[in-house]
Amino acid sequence: MFYLSMFFQYLSQYLKTRLQYRADVFVEFLSDLLSQAINLVFILVVFGHTDLLNGWNRDEIIFIYGFFLVPFAVFSAFFNIWDFNERYIVKGELDRILTRPIHSLFQIILERLELESLLGAITGLAVMFYAGSRLGIRIDWYDPILFIIFVIGGALVYGGVFIMLACISFWADARTSLMPMMYNISNYGRYPVNIYNKLIRFVLTWILPFAFVGVYPAAFFLDKEDWYWYSFLTPFIGVLFFILSIWLWNQGVKKYRGAGN
Amino acid sequence: MDKYIEMIRIRFLMMLAYRTDYYTGILIYSINIGAYYFLWNAIYGGKEQIEGLSVVQMTTYVAVSWMARAFYFNNLDREMAQEIMEGKVAIELIRPYNYLGMKTMQGLGEGIFRLFFFSTPGLIIVYFVFPIQFSWEPRVWGFFAISIVLSFLINTQLNLLTGITTFFLYNNAGLIRAKRVVIDLFSGLLLPISFFPGWAQSIMKFLPFQGISYTPSMIFTKGFSHQQAIAAIGQQLIWVIILILPIYVLWRVAKKQLIIQGG
Amino acid sequence: MENVIEVKKLRKEFKAYSSRAGLKGAFRDLFTRNYKIVPAVNDINITVKKGEMVGYIGENGAGKSTTIKMLTGILTPTSGEIIVNGMNPHKEREKFVQTIGVVFGQRSQLWWDIAVQESFRLLKKVYKVSDEDYEQHMQHVIRTLDIEPLLDKPVRKLSLGQRMRCELAAALIHNPPLLFLDEPTIGLDVLVKLKIREFLKEINEKYNTTILLTTHDLSDIEALCERVVMLDEGKVIYDGALRELKEKWGDQKELHFQFLKKVNIKTVQNVTSGLPVEWEVDEKDQTFIAILEDRDELISQVIAKVVAAFKIKDVKINETSTEEIIRKIYEKGAVEVG
Repeated sequence: MFYLSMFFQYLSQYLKTRLQYRADVFVEFLSDLLSQAINLVFILVVFGHTDLLNGWNRDEIIFIYGFFLVPFAVFSAFFNIWDFNERYIVKGELDRILTRPIHSLFQIILERLELESLLGAITGLAVMFYAGSRLGIRIDWYDPILFIIFVIGGALVYGGVFIMLACISFWADARTSLMPMMYNISNYGRYPVNIYNKLIRFVLTWILPFAFVGVYPAAFFLDKEDWYWYSFLTPFIGVLFFILSIWLWNQGVKKYRGAGN
Repeated sequence: MDKYIEMIRIRFLMMLAYRTDYYTGILIYSINIGAYYFLWNAIYGGKEQIEGLSVVQMTTYVAVSWMARAFYFNNLDREMAQEIMEGKVAIELIRPYNYLGMKTMQGLGEGIFRLFFFSTPGLIIVYFVFPIQFSWEPRVWGFFAISIVLSFLINTQLNLLTGITTFFLYNNAGLIRAKRVVIDLFSGLLLPISFFPGWAQSIMKFLPFQGISYTPSMIFTKGFSHQQAIAAIGQQLIWVIILILPIYVLWRVAKKQLIIQGG
Repeated sequence: MENVIEVKKLRKEFKAYSSRAGLKGAFRDLFTRNYKIVPAVNDINITVKKGEMVGYIGENGAGKSTTIKMLTGILTPTSGEIIVNGMNPHKEREKFVQTIGVVFGQRSQLWWDIAVQESFRLLKKVYKVSDEDYEQHMQHVIRTLDIEPLLDKPVRKLSLGQRMRCELAAALIHNPPLLFLDEPTIGLDVLVKLKIREFLKEINEKYNTTILLTTHDLSDIEALCERVVMLDEGKVIYDGALRELKEKWGDQKELHFQFLKKVNIKTVQNVTSGLPVEWEVDEKDQTFIAILEDRDELISQVIAKVVAAFKIKDVKINETSTEEIIRKIYEKGAVEVG
């Protein structure tokens, strides 16, 4: 309860600051839109040369991409920790966090809210509806519920992986260039994982389970019955990775060396 | 000149100091190459050739363009933005060197480091893992060497330009990000320019981006004929020269603004 | 009196990496690195009683900050026992920090972009302070620190002195029984310093708040603390009353003379030859300083001789400053606590 009320407290502060920098929010939104457009261009150009990607057609791939954008937007809004090392470790902001009576990770999430990223979910929904209508997908009563569950699961997968990456800073002198590179890898979960070989498929399913942010849950809505098992695994993997990441974080905080020594 | 060379050396040492970055970097680049290899295999399906490139050439293209990226890639724009916002640039301007030149040298130091400790071992590993074809003609390697130096210059110039815009925009994080995704696609890193529809290709001919990744990669995979290669290198060179102008102008204006506003 | 802080054999070690020289060395560093373990805090024992104001001093890198960070639960100790407010700071962090206030002079506790009062409101919620308590307590704090007019300004627009007063107020929102201040007066001008000191004294008297203070500025400590803990290379080299320290080490006095006419140091030295006096000259304002033992008879003798020989513009008798004492202690290395 306390944590929920803290969330709203921080939220109202966040809104006040963002209103001061409206232009920034707009530019950020535009640059998000641009990168989404570019990813779509990639898919379109590729399908200019082929009709099927291991049995998946163009609209299905676009649908997966649209789905991916939604959990990704949720992730970006709440887990804006890609500069954790510079901001909190090198500059020693974590000192301040640790002298306050709220869980340290939760405080950082609250401080770094970036709710404008949620706009990406709208783009994602639009892309899904476009591709879905071309594919003639029917929407059943339970679809919206499962959609929400899958989106939360996917966002937790992302959150878990990136929190674990941030935790590296507690032990080693990693800089932030690691995180942007990881974004590249996370993109591969958007393609049907059966195009990859066993090793990469294994990595994308169990090690860096980005496939649970894109193709696995989306497969459910595309009626790919072979994949249902994976689709329904999505929330569990999400929760598992997230719990794991919090455990790792709690270990890491004990190893925190402080700044300026 | 000494001080610039010293700068390269310092950067080199800095890169060595961050070991975690180094290891994970190798891992991540390998995964990238692997993933694109399979993606392209799926795209080719059973086709022999797409746009004049065979599967093997395409695989080579992917591997080489990522390894070349390790050389030309740098975060100068983000570093500059940070230095400008924190007001450190004013101090840099007092120092007896050319700030932009110094930044370029830092980028070069990073690039040379990755070329030797990253791209070269990486390429050897990739060579054994994936079906890649290297040409052993010295002429191809010579052209490739010239071409990636020019890609480094073009990419760095674009980074400097983006960095300088921090003087005029309050927060250009969005612009920096946008520039990055645009370069990834239009430089030919993600897919060869020849795959784009004709009208898009003719537009891109008038943009500097393909000089960053497409040209060196096509030279290496022998996707270009001898004449095409020379023409492409010539085009890169022209872009290097053209880009000097906006950098010079913007930098002059920015410096003036810095003096008036006092940073 | 109950102990607020109890620390036994507290130790914190850091790994210090050393790089090999040159490019070849740097390349070898990629695979194996040299490091040695350095104790930043080396088995220290401290107890602080409720209501005490303790000055914690030491040179840069003596381990002050590291100790404070362990006492506040930021860092985990390598070994040793540590009980603050009856809790283990790191183990029960979230419950523990509810009972302390912390000010880091060089780092802001407030949110940069929002108005000061917004930060206060947020912190009030963070520390679950009731409206009544907040009104009653903070009104007083805000008035005493004179920050009323700053409340609606964003933190980034405040001057250092203004910000520091707000930081102090922010650390006191939950009226903690224990306050840690790390360099609270660094870079501040004299007036702000005085105001802050006065304020600290007041809350110490009013709420019996225990205060642990690190500072470079010894005048802070002279003004506030009866007790000092002195640290050198991670070890406590003195722990006791500031007064005792002065009595033991401040056994000298300084006589400052300014003359009407230009005088040569040699001639001044000649005048007091035979007496145990050392002379120094402050070139800037032509002040001649005699450093001698604190004996009334000797002092009058020296003054008499000098006054007889030269025309005097100004004379002052000073006790050795605390800074001088501290410098001497560091030169010698340790204090026998007696």
